[in-house]
Amino acid sequence: MKITDEVRISDNGFVFNSKTGDSFNVNPTGLELTKMIAQGHDFDEIKNIFLQKYELDDLTFEKDFYEFCALIKYHQITSPEDPLDFK
Amino acid sequence: MSKTKITIAVTGLNNTDNPGPGVPVIRSLKESTVFEVRIIGLVYETLEPGIYMEGLCDKIFQIPYPSTGSDELIDRIEEIHQREPIDVLIPNFDAELFSFMKNEERLLRSGIHTFLPTLKQFQERDKDKLPEYGEKYGIKVPASLNLGSQNQISEIKEKFEYPVMVKGKFYDAYMAYNQEQVKQAFNKISSKWGLPVIIQEFVRGTEVNVIALGDGQGNTIAAVPMRKQYITDKGKAWGGITLSDDKMLEITRNLIRQTKWKGGMELELIKTVKGEYYLIEINPRIPAWVYLAVGAGQNIPEALVKLALRQEVAPMETYQSGKMFVRYSYDIIVDLEKFETIAMNGEI
Repeated sequence: MKITDEVRISDNGFVFNSKTGDSFNVNPTGLELTKMIAQGHDFDEIKNIFLQKYELDDLTFEKDFYEFCALIKYHQITSPEDPLDFK
Repeated sequence: MSKTKITIAVTGLNNTDNPGPGVPVIRSLKESTVFEVRIIGLVYETLEPGIYMEGLCDKIFQIPYPSTGSDELIDRIEEIHQREPIDVLIPNFDAELFSFMKNEERLLRSGIHTFLPTLKQFQERDKDKLPEYGEKYGIKVPASLNLGSQNQISEIKEKFEYPVMVKGKFYDAYMAYNQEQVKQAFNKISSKWGLPVIIQEFVRGTEVNVIALGDGQGNTIAAVPMRKQYITDKGKAWGGITLSDDKMLEITRNLIRQTKWKGGMELELIKTVKGEYYLIEINPRIPAWVYLAVGAGQNIPEALVKLALRQEVAPMETYQSGKMFVRYSYDIIVDLEKFETIAMNGEI
């Protein structure tokens, strides 16, 4: 999954898509996730970082992560090619 | 570098809830880096807010409506020109454009420069000719049907699925969910704007717009896409944001290249969820949100004045996306004497 170049993410969690004019807010965890995806980290890297940093299990992370991916897909900030196929 | 002193006449000072582009055009010209402008405001009504805005116009004249006859309008412009020589005239109403385009040569002979679309460009983009326009220039447009009488309303259900858009030739648009609503809209529109009344397929999606300037040779001098963020009940943008959308720019440049569009324009498009763009209207003039383009880095009115004066203008290819405008209303306290002067003398 790739976050498109037109997307701007500010440090306070404001996400703006300059192609559509849409904007939305994410909470600190969402911001951390969005930034990691934008930086090109893959699923395993993000999972390892989250499991080390927070008290959560594999399954919960995976469920929340894909839910978050569906959310950012809904906001059209990901590349149209294979948006749900996170590598 | 010293600025060139220039006098520019501008119409459309009606900064109401259905705003004319005059006031933002003047603001843009006042920010020109090359011109020091003297502004002549041309108004039809005595309560156009631009008359009363301090520091906006140097001189204001009332002019007759184009419906009273093109000659009367142009005679009045020439009379004003005798007293206050005008270098460039920027008309901002659709309804007056025809008169000014028709008299472009006459105005130029008097020394008044304009930069308007040709009559052919103006007429072929009429709303009732949109399907032919789309086909000719390779742009998707919604299917439409021109109604010359109420009897044709029954044809709608054979050709379209409800809802449909019911539009006037010049202004006004209503969404109708059934035949009865089409009838109501037909009566409202035809009594105000005449026939035909246009039935347009309703395309679901987001309305996006592009403001652009063509040099008449096929080059796009300026283009800025925008999405309306706040829309009034009259369908006017009360807030908007510039977009970074290459497809919208490509559509605009292609259209200007093919039509050799001359002057300012606004493309109204619908972007569907599939990412397709449908052209729903072309406004043949600078739109009222022009100051957003200036704020984003493209001073379109300044470039238009240069083109009118036959000066070289390099295409502006960059602008800032994510720039917003938010309109507001404001009460100006006016002394009766000012109103009296414009009402009695037709100038101030």
